[in-house]
Amino acid sequence: MIVQQKQNSTMKKNLNGFCFPREGLATILLRVKLLALLALLYATLGASGSFGQQQRLRDISGTVKEAKGLPIPGVSVFVQGTSVGSITDANGNFRLSVPANAQTLVFSFVGMKGQTVSLAGKSTFDVVMEEETIGVEEVVVVGYGTQKKANLTGAVDQVGSGAFENRSMTNLTQGLKGIMPNLNIRLLDGKPNQSPSYNIRGTTSIGQGGNALVLIDGAEGDPSLLNPNDIASVTLLKDAASASIYGARGVFGVVLITTRNPEKEKTSVAFSSSMSVKSPITTPDFVSDGYTWAKYFAESFVNWEGTYPQAVNKTLKFSQAYFTELERRHNSPLATDKEVEIDPVTGEYVYYGSTDHYALLYKDYELANEQNISVSGSSKTTSFMLTGRYMGQNGLFTWNTDKYEMMNFRSKGSVQVYPWLKIENNTDYSSTKYHNPSNVGEGSGIWRNIADEGHPLAPMFNPDGTLTMSSVYNIGDFWYGKNGFDFRRKTFKTTSGFVAQFLNDALRIKGDITFQKRDNSEKRKQVPVPYSNKPGVIAYVGTTTNDLREILTETQYIATNIYTEYEKNLTEKHYFKLLAGYNYEESTYRRVMAQRNGLIFEDAMDLNLALGQSILTEGGWEKWNILGGFSRLNYSYKDKYLIEVNGRYDGSSKFPADQRYAFFPSYSAGWRISNESFWKVNPDLISNLKLRASYGSLGNGNIGSYNFLETLSITQSGRIFNGVRPQYTRNPSVLPEGLTWETATTTDFGLDFSMLNDRLNFVGDYYIRQTTDMYTIGMTLPAVFGATAPRGNYADLETKGWEISLTWRDKFNLLSKPLNYDLRFTLADNRSIIKKYNNPDKFLTDYYVGQVLGEIWGYETEGFFIDQADIDSHAKQSPRFLTTSSGKIYPGDIKLKDRNDDKEVNPGTNTATNPGDRFIIGNSAPRFMYSFNLGADWNNFFISTFFQGVGKQDWWPSVEAEVFWGQYNRPYNKLPRWHLDNHWTPENTDAYLPRYVSRQNNRTGGILTFAQTRYLQNIAYIRLTNIQFGYNLPKAISSKIGAENVKIYFSGENLWSWSPLYRLTRDIDIENTTPSDQLFTSGNAGDGHNYPMLKSMTLGISVTF
Amino acid sequence: MAAFFTGCDLEQEPMSVASKSSVFGSQQGLDLYAMSFYNGLPSADDIHRVDNMSDYTARRNAPPFLQATGYSPTTSDNTSESGWDLVALGSDWNWGWGNLRNINYFIQNCNDPKIAPDVKRHYIGLAKFFRAWFYFEKVKRYGNVPWINKALDVTDTLMLYKKQDPRTMVMDSVLADINYACQNIKTTSDASKSLVTKNIAYAYKARICLFEGTYRKYHTELNLQNTASTWLTHASDAAKFVMDQNVFKLYEGAGTDLSYRNVFTTITPVPNSEVMMAAIMDLALSVTHAANWVHTSATTGIRFSFIRTFINTYLNLDGTPFTSNPNYQTTIFKDEVKNRDKRLKQTIRLGDYKRLSGGIQVATPPVFTYSYTGYQPIKWCLDDVYYDTRNLNINPISFFRYGEVLLNYAEAKAELGTFTDADWALTIGALRKRAGITGGLTTKPTVVDPYMQTKYFPGISDPVILEIRRERGIELCMEGFRYYDLMRWKRGELLEIEWNGMYVPELNTPMDLNEDGKMDVAFFKTTKPSPAVSGVTYIDVAPTVSGTPNPVRLKNDTSGELTWLTTVARKWEDKKYYYPIPESHRLTNPKLEQNPGW
Repeated sequence: MIVQQKQNSTMKKNLNGFCFPREGLATILLRVKLLALLALLYATLGASGSFGQQQRLRDISGTVKEAKGLPIPGVSVFVQGTSVGSITDANGNFRLSVPANAQTLVFSFVGMKGQTVSLAGKSTFDVVMEEETIGVEEVVVVGYGTQKKANLTGAVDQVGSGAFENRSMTNLTQGLKGIMPNLNIRLLDGKPNQSPSYNIRGTTSIGQGGNALVLIDGAEGDPSLLNPNDIASVTLLKDAASASIYGARGVFGVVLITTRNPEKEKTSVAFSSSMSVKSPITTPDFVSDGYTWAKYFAESFVNWEGTYPQAVNKTLKFSQAYFTELERRHNSPLATDKEVEIDPVTGEYVYYGSTDHYALLYKDYELANEQNISVSGSSKTTSFMLTGRYMGQNGLFTWNTDKYEMMNFRSKGSVQVYPWLKIENNTDYSSTKYHNPSNVGEGSGIWRNIADEGHPLAPMFNPDGTLTMSSVYNIGDFWYGKNGFDFRRKTFKTTSGFVAQFLNDALRIKGDITFQKRDNSEKRKQVPVPYSNKPGVIAYVGTTTNDLREILTETQYIATNIYTEYEKNLTEKHYFKLLAGYNYEESTYRRVMAQRNGLIFEDAMDLNLALGQSILTEGGWEKWNILGGFSRLNYSYKDKYLIEVNGRYDGSSKFPADQRYAFFPSYSAGWRISNESFWKVNPDLISNLKLRASYGSLGNGNIGSYNFLETLSITQSGRIFNGVRPQYTRNPSVLPEGLTWETATTTDFGLDFSMLNDRLNFVGDYYIRQTTDMYTIGMTLPAVFGATAPRGNYADLETKGWEISLTWRDKFNLLSKPLNYDLRFTLADNRSIIKKYNNPDKFLTDYYVGQVLGEIWGYETEGFFIDQADIDSHAKQSPRFLTTSSGKIYPGDIKLKDRNDDKEVNPGTNTATNPGDRFIIGNSAPRFMYSFNLGADWNNFFISTFFQGVGKQDWWPSVEAEVFWGQYNRPYNKLPRWHLDNHWTPENTDAYLPRYVSRQNNRTGGILTFAQTRYLQNIAYIRLTNIQFGYNLPKAISSKIGAENVKIYFSGENLWSWSPLYRLTRDIDIENTTPSDQLFTSGNAGDGHNYPMLKSMTLGISVTF
Repeated sequence: MAAFFTGCDLEQEPMSVASKSSVFGSQQGLDLYAMSFYNGLPSADDIHRVDNMSDYTARRNAPPFLQATGYSPTTSDNTSESGWDLVALGSDWNWGWGNLRNINYFIQNCNDPKIAPDVKRHYIGLAKFFRAWFYFEKVKRYGNVPWINKALDVTDTLMLYKKQDPRTMVMDSVLADINYACQNIKTTSDASKSLVTKNIAYAYKARICLFEGTYRKYHTELNLQNTASTWLTHASDAAKFVMDQNVFKLYEGAGTDLSYRNVFTTITPVPNSEVMMAAIMDLALSVTHAANWVHTSATTGIRFSFIRTFINTYLNLDGTPFTSNPNYQTTIFKDEVKNRDKRLKQTIRLGDYKRLSGGIQVATPPVFTYSYTGYQPIKWCLDDVYYDTRNLNINPISFFRYGEVLLNYAEAKAELGTFTDADWALTIGALRKRAGITGGLTTKPTVVDPYMQTKYFPGISDPVILEIRRERGIELCMEGFRYYDLMRWKRGELLEIEWNGMYVPELNTPMDLNEDGKMDVAFFKTTKPSPAVSGVTYIDVAPTVSGTPNPVRLKNDTSGELTWLTTVARKWEDKKYYYPIPESHRLTNPKLEQNPGW
């Protein structure tokens, strides 16, 4: 059992109940609500008064008291299913006329458990209401066990399954984004299979890197392949003390995902189904009118080159004469004008189109659907659960669309063989398929391809139905529909274990063994795509490819744990829990890649049908194993002083023999001040107050398996020798000497408190994480070294951060029905500074001591040059900063400030100590990540909203960020509509953008390739990540179909967002400002050139029998 | 518990990579490694595009390097579209040094006693060949560079942070390397024409030494004139060695009309005795280049167009200068290309040049949607239009061919003053004979051609040297030699030469360039003649078009030679004999000295 909710019996001992004379925060709040309730109540009663007269009535009366016998005033007393009712007076008495056929009386009062009493055969009722405990004592999952939340000493956060309910998400990772403070998941793009790694608490290491260790039911797994409906809870172990039981792999935190178990002694079948409509949050608003586009194209081209364009990139001819004709067609169109003409000289097509590529690229919406089934049952000795899920998403593209499918099956079962022994099994099979189209013309992502050759002038098709040369480089390839990637990922995982209990459950021994097999495959097809420049003449792009590539990888993973736990209350005062165990894990990875060209027909999908001689094969192998012994001691004294000591002795094959083993101890302690005898604060005000502190130091085991060995890798040559393309090897990377472990030391201080009768809960942590001896690239060496400087334990990093979460949970009666609601607010921040780095000169091309990670060095944009005199008198700017290819500066060009007054704008020696005219203009690291959750349910209705965002982040639209820069990047790029009246002209001198000159964000030296203040963007944002509302059908209805519960709901993802960037443009979604699609490029094809982030609307129903 | 741990084996060995001992412990391993050296060679597309920046190339835009402020130590060479504005052959872009380490690492570790010494020397010879290649390119581009002869350790700070070594020291080391290669590379022939052999090493030695000898001779500011003749002697000796082997000869198998061109367009170089080593192409292996695409597409390349001043240097068939004809300047295209050195028609589109389109021979004039001057290159292009789209070319592009060896020999001897009539007949005479030239094949010239002297080399009064340079320009055009030839002759000023084109006698009159009876092009000012003749490309030569200065003009406004892009100034400065050391590298190693003037 993972999340247990137990009634808290101890905390409420001193409660006096609610008496009006007693003043306190709680009572004031109650009064306000009571007044509102009364007003509603009277209105309702008044309305129903005349109706009641016509029925046969009988009188009843009674008293309502709390447990200690004190009367409770203001309790609402209603006949169930009607509006007939009253409230108790100051002495707790009530009197009521009820219909003779009325059966049940309902008593409700805020802060008390509701009661129903049968009316049969009685006319006086003395009711005792019990305090309702709003704060429940949670038990949270920790490493190799569970612990009462109240007794936690480390930094641990947990969410239950509610966080994922009713949401249309293609995988769990996407659903986890933003939910827990300082669990940082950056999605990069909106692909359904996108599942970035999990980061906890900011930059981990600039050396080996490292992410959080993700364990699913105790063994490593891929969260993106999990069925979100199987999740019972997700726990973060954030500080070293909590994570250290997992040793070196847990150095940067652990994410423990636990799946649901069958409900106790109950059999149920649940089915749910949902349908979603999805579409991009934003598509760019680009000018598609051919003439306007061409005008700006030519202007930006001429302004940079000084000559008139002779071509539009490589697919269209351009000339002054051609433009004159375009202008003529625009100003005085003739009926005989056609979009496609034929040049009488060359016989080639000439285009005069106005093509909107993004309108062609995407469907208006795509559909996704999800089906779930779950069957579970249990008796005293056995339990079982079977779950299944299908999720399908049809894809966004008009042609050759991407398509995503995921299937999950899980079976779980346990048998209580003997009273002391339970055997369990948990088996999981998941599979996903994803098709992603690609372009054979240039191979980059579709947005970049549209930027390069998606010229509005060229239509998609020629009159004879062939593709134009422009379109074949982008959408035409999709239309042709043959090229793309097919990804499949499958996981089979089975865990068998036992739990043995002795000595009245004081001693437990648990053991398990997990076998997991992950099979991933990737199939890429590239066939030439035909197009035509001339009627009757077909040419192709991609002629040198025509190939099929398959990559198969297999990862086998075995893990076993055996551990024992002994728990003892020595006397009333001393509590001990001791855990000790052993863990072994082994992972073997194999890879086979084969590629061959010469497909005998273009729909061939098997390598047997590739007959060419360009054959490429690759292998791959990686194996690591680790073992560890771990132990944990918990001690508490009178539930006031809590101490936990963890230790793990770790061994890893990833280290050389003399560094292989290491011991990692950690300590944490808590002080529950509110349990002290001197603590006299009214528990209604502050019911719980705890201070926590922890300290621990862990080695970083997240490293490559063979980093310490000099190896010569083998690759195939791109050249032909003796009739073949031979394999070759070359010099290995330079190995360092005397390496040792990177170490992360975390100090954590925490404060937990609960207020207002546990309605308000606060958890806050402040931490400092020192990552020392980071294994980083050595000092930047002169180029003659001829290799990347060898790595070494050169660097130290300090990350400081904090996170808080604040929850408010309460209920009150609305129209005599309880309204439960809860609010959760989280806020997290972190900031990393380099403390040691092998860069004594502090070159800005590398890390340096004192650097805050993410900082952006740039120039101050002073404005635009006004006239020649202004240019002449300004500090020297050219040729270092180019606003034309010749280096000449014109009015309207960007003027950078000579901050150090040396009469030249320059980067100094490019060091932090002499940065020239640069300074830190911003920071690209996200700060103040927050989320806000509101949930409520009333009378079978429920609603919840989830907002999340980033409070502070800067973005410098980097080189090739075409969606932002448009033709300032390359002249033939798209033209964002917001540029139209927003660039400098002699008439419009206070525009946002400079003189209309292309290449400034493309060529080396182009002035817009340099970060500068004017165009630094604020990409803080807020997003309504989820909103949902739904209705649980009344039992009376659902029972008619034999169901215990029927729920229908609407759920929307990403329906609203706002960012300061949107004041300027909404062409790029805020979460898409990341480097370009990593599937096709290394990310350097322009920020924002990504699969779009999606919004969705879902309708769903779920039925439980 | 400790006993429990030690029972488990945590030793994992990588299985998908090779170890150092397995690579250096067998000849197969050495071979495997040696294949990596070839990655330091330029690609096929590098070679056929290098002449994008030269004196005879008119092009879409003026190379930034040749504009007053277009290039500086902060400019990065290989941004996506500026790369072809620069001259780089191999890995010398942006002060790159990775290939050198690869070579040095090999030389240092090729010492396994299990392998026979001569085998080791052979492979070390290969390594040194490529080290010579590496350094030769560096010296050509940057002048003085640091000499590094080992795979450096982080602790080798003296080497890492040293300033440039003197050119003399570096070039002496290059010479030592290429000598070692010449002596120790065992293979003498390679039927696949893809590998470095002893002959290739000698041919390369000749190339290096000719460069260095003439550079020192003409760049008197170096004060190394007295060492020039040693290098020139090395050059002529090395070239002579190759010639004496009798392995290679000029290809003449297709007669004077086709042999020259076939050297560049024959798909397989194997039967071609002239190509010594080439970048081999094969569509089946997905290795192709893009010469057709670059040189026929109006949009893809820079629209490489020869200028008329250069075309004028092609001799008449009888061996007399075309420019001796008093009317040469006003001769129209269809006439000027007649009766010329047959390499002209094998280099540009003219006369009855035909291309294959769907299996049909089609007469193909130069097209003015591509060419700015009328002189449209065909040297590396295959005739079938099939190859025009994307990189489909499968004709190999040579790194070394015998014609160059002959030219190197001739020039070295001429510069040494030891050039004889027999040498002439063996070299320039033989090349001209293959090109169908009939006169002056056996005796070296005695009279200076004033055109060559005034237009190109005012400082040269030796008629032999002038003719050899003419020959070199024509024979080796578009093969990647021109820019550095100008550098070593100290004639950078030629890069400012006017970009001129064919002679246009009058406006509005269509011209038939290839005499196939169809009019091809006509020139007008502002108003296009009406009705337009179908199939004619009309070019506006008015001073401005749509308010923008027009880059296409006629010399005398309504007639005369075409000129292209005189609107953008190209400026030669002597500092450009060397590229600047990129600023970032001088920041990392402040001891590096910036080249003068940058």
